[in-house]
Amino acid sequence: MTLRPCPCEKEVSELLARGQWPGNCVPELRAHVSGCRSCRDLVLLTETFRRARAEALGAARLASPGALWWKAQLRRRNAAVERVGKPILSAQIFALAINLCLVVGLLAWQARRGLGWLTWLEQLPQATTLHLGKLWPSALLNSGLSLTVLIPAAATLALLSGVVVYLASEKQ
Amino acid sequence: MDPRRKRTRMLWEFVLPSVLADGASRAAEPPMDSDAFAGFYERSARPLWAYLVRVGGDPALADDLMQESYVRFLCAAWPESHQDEGEVAARRYLFRIATNLLRDHWRRPRAASIEDIPEEFLAAHVSSAQSDSQAILSPAMAQMSPRERQLLWLAHAEGYSHREIAEVTGLASASIRLLLFRARRKIARLLREPDLRTRSEP
Repeated sequence: MTLRPCPCEKEVSELLARGQWPGNCVPELRAHVSGCRSCRDLVLLTETFRRARAEALGAARLASPGALWWKAQLRRRNAAVERVGKPILSAQIFALAINLCLVVGLLAWQARRGLGWLTWLEQLPQATTLHLGKLWPSALLNSGLSLTVLIPAAATLALLSGVVVYLASEKQ
Repeated sequence: MDPRRKRTRMLWEFVLPSVLADGASRAAEPPMDSDAFAGFYERSARPLWAYLVRVGGDPALADDLMQESYVRFLCAAWPESHQDEGEVAARRYLFRIATNLLRDHWRRPRAASIEDIPEEFLAAHVSSAQSDSQAILSPAMAQMSPRERQLLWLAHAEGYSHREIAEVTGLASASIRLLLFRARRKIARLLREPDLRTRSEP
């Protein structure tokens, strides 16, 4: 199969593109086309495809350009918001990690001091009245730090949790 | 400015990298304004629809892909190398987006069966298949591969050069020549011989 194009193909293409085939064609070229398979294929295909194109142009069902314009604007804006939202998501993950670290740290600290304060759970069924004081960890109450550590830690946790929940709900 | 405030600001700019400014500017500057787009759409929508419907073979698909092509065109960052070439390059870029969408469509697994297609959809196909050129060309096109249909349409209906077709399809210019040569031979034979054209594919 040879790929060498016919030397007249360019000339025939130009005539077809200008809509001058076969009207403005010299008889020699017309005779060549009727004998050259490559040029004959070119004429047949170009005429068929151009006719099909003209028919399809008339059948096109077009949407409103304004609607497409606004749809694109909306998508651009959403993409921009998405880009802006990425650092906020990172901040949320960071805040969540800090919270988890604080909780783990607090638990580890309490575990090192002994889990004796959990005995209030065992005593709970026997108690006739519930004293709120019993809910305080005994290890904390016995230590000098007690409430001065627990309250700020709990407050920080609550605050950070609130921020995380707020940011998460705002994103949704 | 107070050095401490300046330092804090720099820190925030580092934490929130140019995303804010970049995002805002990109959202504010589409490749063309609304009026320019309306003109461009008026001139390019019909040829694009013709390309999609003849290559894809489905008017409903052509409608969807055409809308998506324009939305993506408006959302895309316009390549700087093409900005000086004006509307001709914009149209080629649009055809490239549409070609990629068609390719994605063909790659997607087909979930719908023939029973799921509403009857009026099939009726629309029958009624639109009445024109002469369509009656001649459609059966022949149906026997060509999607890639061959694209190449033939771009070359013979749109009149694109090999270089332009390469830009639209993403193929190498040298491959276009060979593929187009084979496709042209094949479809010419199908158009000349009605028996081959009407023979259904296995």
